[in-house]
Amino acid sequence: MEPRSRSFYILAAFFAVFIAFLYGPTVVIGVLSFQGAGGGLTFPMRGVSLHWFHELFEQQAVGDIWASFRRSFLLGLLVMVATVVISVMGGLAFRNRFVGSTVLFYVVIVSLIIPSILVSLGVGLIWSRAGLDVHWSTSGLGAQLTWTLPFGLLIMLAVFNRFDPSYEEAARDQGASSWQTIRHVVLPIIAPSLIGVALFGFTLSYDEFARTLLTSGSQNTLPLEIFGMTTNVTTPVLYALGTLTTGFSFLVIGLFLFVVWLVDDKRRKSGSDAGKGMA
Amino acid sequence: MTTIPRIRYSRRSVLKSGLAAAAATLPAPMVWSQAIKDVTLRQFGTGVSNLNEVAQKVKEDLGFTLQMTALDSDSVTQRAATQPNSFDIADIEYWICKKVWPTGNLQAMDTSKIENYDKIVGIFRDGKLTPDSVIAQGTAPHSVGFVDGPGGTEFVNEESGWMTLIPTIYNADTLGIRPDLINRPINNWSELLNPEFKGKASILDIASIGIMDMSMVVESLGEYTYPDKGNMTRDEIDLTLGIFTEAKQNGQFRAFWKTFDESVNLMASGEVVIQSMWSPAITAVRARGIPCVYQPLEEGYRSWGGGIGLSKSLSGIELDAAYEYINWYLSGWVGGFLMRQGYYSAVPETSKLFMTDDEWGFWFEGKPAQGDITNPFGQVMEQAGAVRDGGSFYERMGNVACWNAVMDENQYMVRKWNEFIAA
Amino acid sequence: MQRTANKLSADLSGWLLSAPIALVLAVFLLAPIAMIVIVSFWGATEYSIYPDFQFENYEFLLGSSVTYRVFLNTFKYAAATWAITLVVGFIVAYFLAFHVRSLKWQVALFLLCTIPFWTSNIIRMISWIPFLGRNGLANSLLLSTGVVDEPVEWLLFSDFSVILAFVHLYTLFMIVPIFNTMIRIDKSLIEAAVDAGASGLQTVWHVVIPLAKPGIMIGTIFVVTLVMGDFITVRFMSGSQSANMGRMIQNDIGLLQYPSASATAVILLVTVLLVIGILLRFVDIRSEL
Repeated sequence: MEPRSRSFYILAAFFAVFIAFLYGPTVVIGVLSFQGAGGGLTFPMRGVSLHWFHELFEQQAVGDIWASFRRSFLLGLLVMVATVVISVMGGLAFRNRFVGSTVLFYVVIVSLIIPSILVSLGVGLIWSRAGLDVHWSTSGLGAQLTWTLPFGLLIMLAVFNRFDPSYEEAARDQGASSWQTIRHVVLPIIAPSLIGVALFGFTLSYDEFARTLLTSGSQNTLPLEIFGMTTNVTTPVLYALGTLTTGFSFLVIGLFLFVVWLVDDKRRKSGSDAGKGMA
Repeated sequence: MTTIPRIRYSRRSVLKSGLAAAAATLPAPMVWSQAIKDVTLRQFGTGVSNLNEVAQKVKEDLGFTLQMTALDSDSVTQRAATQPNSFDIADIEYWICKKVWPTGNLQAMDTSKIENYDKIVGIFRDGKLTPDSVIAQGTAPHSVGFVDGPGGTEFVNEESGWMTLIPTIYNADTLGIRPDLINRPINNWSELLNPEFKGKASILDIASIGIMDMSMVVESLGEYTYPDKGNMTRDEIDLTLGIFTEAKQNGQFRAFWKTFDESVNLMASGEVVIQSMWSPAITAVRARGIPCVYQPLEEGYRSWGGGIGLSKSLSGIELDAAYEYINWYLSGWVGGFLMRQGYYSAVPETSKLFMTDDEWGFWFEGKPAQGDITNPFGQVMEQAGAVRDGGSFYERMGNVACWNAVMDENQYMVRKWNEFIAA
Repeated sequence: MQRTANKLSADLSGWLLSAPIALVLAVFLLAPIAMIVIVSFWGATEYSIYPDFQFENYEFLLGSSVTYRVFLNTFKYAAATWAITLVVGFIVAYFLAFHVRSLKWQVALFLLCTIPFWTSNIIRMISWIPFLGRNGLANSLLLSTGVVDEPVEWLLFSDFSVILAFVHLYTLFMIVPIFNTMIRIDKSLIEAAVDAGASGLQTVWHVVIPLAKPGIMIGTIFVVTLVMGDFITVRFMSGSQSANMGRMIQNDIGLLQYPSASATAVILLVTVLLVIGILLRFVDIRSEL
């Protein structure tokens, strides 16, 4: 290893400031979630307590955090699975040019850049004109997919752009059918990127507000429920939820990294170079 | 999720009507009370009155399930107007009723089935608080409270026996101030635009309510006196919003608020010292130990009323359950619950039964509190000796200058309002 | 014959595999867009919309000076956010790509950047008040360090706070694509530049930036479209006091004026498509992924 240059330290400091900026609101939420029992959503602090963490698991005056959380979580999983499956299929399709592929590609780009409120408005209008009931698991799911699919597909295109076709040729030479090739050769190789697509799908869905606004029907997803709760007095319970979410994310990501490093370590010891294609 | 139980119920109600003949001879209540326990009614409204505790009490007292969804005020109007299948009970305001009744999404209610109908305060029946009251300008609740029959689409001005909304809560609104940061008496609506509070004022961004606050300010400033501020002409709308646009561009306002919570946070954090506000928002600020006054003003109050309406699609046993719910709503428990947050109940005398004498004295009669006054969640709001801002029910509701309104030129108004926000 | 058959079977498998995404986008993207275009010519009452063919919605929209101000505002926010996220994003991406040497540290640092976004955006928006407000954290810091004598007002409910929140939300969308192109830059090119006597900044300017251009363009597309389509950030961070196109649409929706919301939406969509169309002239997304 060559010694770190001066520019490294300058850039590292810049990065640290950037991280501090990103975590600004998180820190405020963290501090205020320990607000005393008589305190509110803004400074000053009125004592320090765990009161709001207890409250989080009690019934709120208005709204139902946990029911909407379950809904959002389920919807996130649905979006995640659909995004992974459909993106992989789309990615495979786009490896060859076919009639209409260019048009479809531009439609995907439009889906990526269209302001989300338009999707909400349009889907809501169609559903109400057709006399259908909007519901988070139908119209809501579809509206969210217009946001996650382009991401998923673009990632898959990037992955297949760098995919070495000689693995497949080898499999085919051995007499594998095209499905077998995909199942036993292609999928295992692209698996790490699929985790990325899945995470993307879930995260984008879990916090989606605009696209669900007019398409979720009589039951709210978590972001909509929280917004609805602000029509009455809200309490630092919201911050407690935020702090728990952050803590939970750290835990999940920490575990994930731990596992990855463990596997990586093992691989290096056994001298394999698999997984190098991850980047 | 919504359609399956619905089919089940309707089959049940078919069964029930099949049983109706037998019911004449057999004691049927057992069957009925069993069936009604399976009913789920879906109610939506803003968080102001869509409280989980009410749903819980319904389950205890009546046995069926009330599903509450709290939404922001825009979504409430939207849902009532465009998604009639997504709810059974709409908890809305009277001015919203004026907007959405013509869609036919709601059904009129038979007042003969409402036990406490005669005890509902006059405001919601003939429009008069006391026999010699003058009816204020704007969309007064009684003017959109009745239609001519079960399927009626036209509002009528007398008590026709068919009600659009069952009144639930209402209040007289005024400006909220931070006395500790203002340090002088505030007596007029015009203070909202006083340059003294530059960058520290706020107004709410809900067109039909905000425009009325504005008209109170405009009259108080002496700029203009409206023949009927509840029904402005295009020129009057332009004038009103013009004055406020100028103030906005001069930096008078710190922010506009749209949800209840925002108004609390603006006031509690000291970002704003004077703004339009709702009564429980004041109590919420005070509960944090921050002084806040719901300032009575010389020009009077801007008032509003809320009520519950029934979806067109309700029928059979579900409709019966809805009537039971309404009767329960007016029987006092909810009234007491809401009055302890600073609202008024549509049937005060039943609510009285569910409040202590001290609570009744403080909230309704405007008397000094004898002991601690707590909110429904047990938090201490006021100490002994405190008096409600504005005094008694009759002092406050008797001094209403206007109601939240939907005007003939409403569409023009909301477009102009939109421009005001964007300006 | 053989070749046409092959071509046909390639088309067929392409169609089959892309059918799901095509279907989803047809129902939830293209049909809604068509519907919005149609409805933008309809009329509205207080509570309902009715089919019609009139230009009233566009006339009102294009006839009001406020529309143009809002239009300008939308571009102002987009431009300011773009410039800031570009600089910050480029520096951060450069650090991660060239100074963080192992893949696992790069992954870990990226994940560290994403954690704040798992907390619901509405909650984060509320938390800007105690952060930037008159009595907020930032102001008490400034006061206690003696930088200012009285609270700084423009930290909250101003264009500053709107742009700050945008930068907070969207810098990551700039970092990722730029990083993605940077790690594919052949290190020997940089070594060659250094060997030829170029300074660090010269290397960045003449080698890294030209090679990272596709990533910059993709990041630009993300940030510009996200900012132009936003409505919730502008509403919260300006204290409802300023507007962009998205907010106008949302206000109209809230007031049940769907046709006029649709007309605004059509104009917004056309604008975004034009901007992106121009940007796409500078980058071929497919080959740069």
